[in-house]
Amino acid sequence: MNNAYYITASELAARGFADLPEELTQAKHLIYSSPATLDFNSPGAKGFGVKRAGLCVPGSVMLLVAPGCCGRNTALLNELGYHERFYYLLLDDTDIVTGRHLKKIPEACAEICESMGENPSAIMICVTCVDALLGTDMERVCRSCEEKTGVPAVPAYMYALTREKRIPPMGLTRKSVYSLLKKQKRHADECNLLGFFAAMDSENEIYPLLKHAGLNAVREIGRCGTFDDYAAMSRANFNLVLNPEARYAAQDLYERLGIPFIELTRVYRPEKIRNQYRLLGQAIGKTLDDTRYYAEAVQAVEAFRKDFAGLSVAVGECLNADSFELALSLTEFGMHVAEIYGTVGERNFVYLKKLAAVSPETRIYSNLSPTMLGYERDCDIRAAIGNDAMYYHRDLPGVGFNDEAQTFGYRGVTLLLSQLAKAIREGRQIAEAGK
Amino acid sequence: MKKLLKYISPLAPDDSGACAVLYELGGVVVICDAGGCTGNICGFDEPRWHEKKSALFSAGLRDMDAILGRDKRLIEKLGAACRQLSALHPRFTVVIGTPVPAVIATDLHAVRRMAEKETGLPCLALDTDGTAYYDTGAEKAYLALFETFAKEACPVRKGRLGVLGATPLDLGLTRADRLTAALRAEGWDEVICMGLDSGIDEITAAASCEHLLAISPAGLKAAEYLSAKFGTPFTAGCPLLPAETVQAAAALNGKRVLIIHQQFAANALREKLAGCTCDCATWFQFHRKYAQEGDFRITGEDILREKAAQYDVIIADRDLMRMLPDYKGGRIDFPHYAVSARLL
Repeated sequence: MNNAYYITASELAARGFADLPEELTQAKHLIYSSPATLDFNSPGAKGFGVKRAGLCVPGSVMLLVAPGCCGRNTALLNELGYHERFYYLLLDDTDIVTGRHLKKIPEACAEICESMGENPSAIMICVTCVDALLGTDMERVCRSCEEKTGVPAVPAYMYALTREKRIPPMGLTRKSVYSLLKKQKRHADECNLLGFFAAMDSENEIYPLLKHAGLNAVREIGRCGTFDDYAAMSRANFNLVLNPEARYAAQDLYERLGIPFIELTRVYRPEKIRNQYRLLGQAIGKTLDDTRYYAEAVQAVEAFRKDFAGLSVAVGECLNADSFELALSLTEFGMHVAEIYGTVGERNFVYLKKLAAVSPETRIYSNLSPTMLGYERDCDIRAAIGNDAMYYHRDLPGVGFNDEAQTFGYRGVTLLLSQLAKAIREGRQIAEAGK
Repeated sequence: MKKLLKYISPLAPDDSGACAVLYELGGVVVICDAGGCTGNICGFDEPRWHEKKSALFSAGLRDMDAILGRDKRLIEKLGAACRQLSALHPRFTVVIGTPVPAVIATDLHAVRRMAEKETGLPCLALDTDGTAYYDTGAEKAYLALFETFAKEACPVRKGRLGVLGATPLDLGLTRADRLTAALRAEGWDEVICMGLDSGIDEITAAASCEHLLAISPAGLKAAEYLSAKFGTPFTAGCPLLPAETVQAAAALNGKRVLIIHQQFAANALREKLAGCTCDCATWFQFHRKYAQEGDFRITGEDILREKAAQYDVIIADRDLMRMLPDYKGGRIDFPHYAVSARLL
């Protein structure tokens, strides 16, 4: 029996964003960090949480200043080769009440530099809920560390307590990561992509589109192999923000270095993508000829529609998309979205309302609701999209679509549909073989 | 610096230890945090999270909850969860401390009373704070459980052994079958691993055990408590060691050996070594009563780096060996989940 709370898209749209049910409002219930949502729910956990993201600056190391519990899962990153870049200053019960540990941080930084033999490019000093509550002035602490070691020190705020604030921890981390950039002469034919920590999928159309528009250097932090590569990012004429969490960093770069920014949204409907590229072209005074890529995306949609029209799917939120925008896109592609496991926010409620008009019976669940402990599938679903959806439907074909190499634009559409079609066909073959 | 880790990652903390004891007992457990501690526990220290469901939640605290001390809101959320999960028939609730309630000095006793009033269920409130090691948290959880639920004496069942300290953090196992098989082979008819493949009823009936075995220091205080309350005799010792480690260690002869693990497991391995001079060391609880001359507690990476040169062979979890990049002696891996989160 399915004991998990859900509400249909039409019911939710009728209630409006101001009247969300408590089960869909994180602040009003306990948080269920099921295996489906672990990396989503904990800002320091898998993928690019604060800890790993902070180390995107080439040659940097991180000092985590926290009780042992906050750094425990960092061992996961050791498997990715980070163990020589993490250091821990463990706080005891007196430290967390009195803040006496703050005086030890510069000394710890000095000991780290001494043990390394050669200085790192920067020391990212990661602090947690303890210092959020103590009101620690991290800028001042970092200045002390820099005076003691001669190495730039930058705060990385792993403040889970502030996750729903205007600037969440990952927003602050993005600002920190770019904060070492220094003002230099800007070049008209260079730009940066901001938003992701790993390099984007190399096949993405955004690279040739920008190149044909005369941008000879398109930089992103995930492709910076050295500190010099990183430092060159401040040569950019403008920043393209591909993830709203990078907006604060972009604003900071504008204020400090005078680099303006343009924000694009990741969407999956080809017409909307085309419109965005048209507007981007207008903003930079060029024409972005996306004809070929648009045609490929439309062709991919039509091919998918031909083979899988009416297919019933579940869409999660642990994936490289906004759950509700993707659900709306898939519905327009001819699929039936039976269930969404997602977080309803003011921004994506717009998509929810449009979805309610074309798929009113789509069920909306919150991954984080305690009631998800009792989730069982009780409707027709044939495929799952997103790591969390795949967790709930382990017996169905599916795609996680949650790679570190992020995707964007038309490439996202073609990649998702090709991966999904492959998974469904393979699932059918296995089912046939089992008969 | 004593508290600076330059080579290894932090070891399993007290809140993880508490959760490990409570995981299978059928309560609604709330980690009083903002989400990060729960992520560490569920995503790293609790291997059962991926195979056995448990009503283990984060309080989802936000800065204003902490600044304003909104305990009432936490209790309302807990009450709502108990109602929503009524089909699971929760028997009790637990609030587990983290650094957040420690910093703001949350009155956990008041929280316990408020929770009991809201839900009508017994509540345990554990003052873990994430700065101590897992064995301290597990110890607190065991004690609170037995003090709350094992109140009545009951007839002793001959041949029934109660095992304390058996959690994945010590055993590296998510099921009790290998441990119970080893103890049955020693002659026990019925082996109850408290909190591992057993429930709250076994905790309530703790007095029915003929004997208690603390397999790690985490279970020692509870064993002493039950012994004092019901007169149940207890011993300390670890009957299940990784076969590969034992095999490699037993082949040593005439060596100066250092074994690093939780104290009872290290002691148990020492008994398998003949013809060697052997010291035991631990990062975790160190009880002089169970130690031999030369045994010591590791209080920082530098302590171990200084002492290592005295030994021909070090038997320890391989993650700890990162501390000794220049060590020239022999190394034998002795996995410990609370160190490297590796299952056996």
